[in-house]
Amino acid sequence: MKSLFRPDQIPDAAILDNHRPLLRSLERRNFLRGGLSLGALSLLTGCDTSRPEAIESALRAISDMNDGVQQLLFNPNKLAPEYPESMVLNPPKFNAKYDVMSVKPVDPATWKLELAGRIEQKKPWTLPEIAALPKKSMIIRHICVEGWDYIGQWSGVPLRAFLERVGADLSAKYVAFKTADDYPSSIDMATALHPQTLLALDYANAPLGDPFGFPLRLRMATKLGYKNPKWVTAIEVTNTYSGGYWEKRGFSWFAGL
Amino acid sequence: MSPTGALAQSREPGGMPPPDGMSLAQSAAMRFPQSVRVGDLIGRAVLQPVVTRRAYGTVKQVVRAADGTVNLIVDYGGFLGFGARPIAIPVDATVLVGVEIGVVAYKPEDLDKLPAFSEGGATPLPADSSIKVGLAKPFH
Repeated sequence: MKSLFRPDQIPDAAILDNHRPLLRSLERRNFLRGGLSLGALSLLTGCDTSRPEAIESALRAISDMNDGVQQLLFNPNKLAPEYPESMVLNPPKFNAKYDVMSVKPVDPATWKLELAGRIEQKKPWTLPEIAALPKKSMIIRHICVEGWDYIGQWSGVPLRAFLERVGADLSAKYVAFKTADDYPSSIDMATALHPQTLLALDYANAPLGDPFGFPLRLRMATKLGYKNPKWVTAIEVTNTYSGGYWEKRGFSWFAGL
Repeated sequence: MSPTGALAQSREPGGMPPPDGMSLAQSAAMRFPQSVRVGDLIGRAVLQPVVTRRAYGTVKQVVRAADGTVNLIVDYGGFLGFGARPIAIPVDATVLVGVEIGVVAYKPEDLDKLPAFSEGGATPLPADSSIKVGLAKPFH
């Protein structure tokens, strides 16, 4: 006998195809994806699966919930694995939202790191000033959302030490970044203060190469690759969510490992 | 959702093969060549720059030809390890994609036509020397 709960109109199976990129962005939550069926979608969207915006906002809500859960689970003192120097890939792997020929090298003589938002001392920093700060080195795995990874040795100023030095409000919610290649990004304060979060200046004991973010990039051991902006030009400490380049295109914002 | 989300990776490295009138060296120079230790290149996979990541072979040797060209000697072709022959691929025709090497200036049919490499006139480069290799975005 036909179930009394079976709707008269069954959703079009093409809906799942139309939203495949967004579904893929949920890949670290297989149990949720496993639970995502046409039936479940129709529950979430009040049965009206013919409206893509309704589906998108339902999927978005799941992704945002994932971000929230990851933030709750994040342990600010737990360290990501580190590796021996013999495993370091040199040069590192290039990746950006464009091919290498479009990289525009940054002139170190005119480069400045500008500061904004909830920071007491907003005077911009020059490269020699930043390079004179105490540095820390870490050999960590870079993991890309696309599925590849490599081990790299990054050195630079711990973001926590830098934020403390400039009098940033460490109780603010977000640290946002602007870059020379127009790749805005933002992270949660807990990750900004994590001991394996660096403003990286060096790779494998030499200054960063132009394609890898010279003179300064963010490097975190606890987040996916796309959360690490290169060619950073400005840092803002803020309570306002600003997302980021890929986040605006449906990628998860927290992106923890 | 913008359709660019699906383009997080490029399919083919731009500017390759070099346009008419541009040499391999000139086009390689546009790809931010990086210093790599020769010893670190030995054994690395050499791939066709396509999503399927078809493997041509691995780097056996790095040599400088009599005309100064630096070539990667790759065991090419064959099946299940049988029938492969060494060919010399100019390093300027290749790119580093992380640990792997992509041949961007030649198609498989071009490589098929290359003669088997013979050592006459070529000087093997020592493991501790370095050469420059251009970069490309992952082609997956």
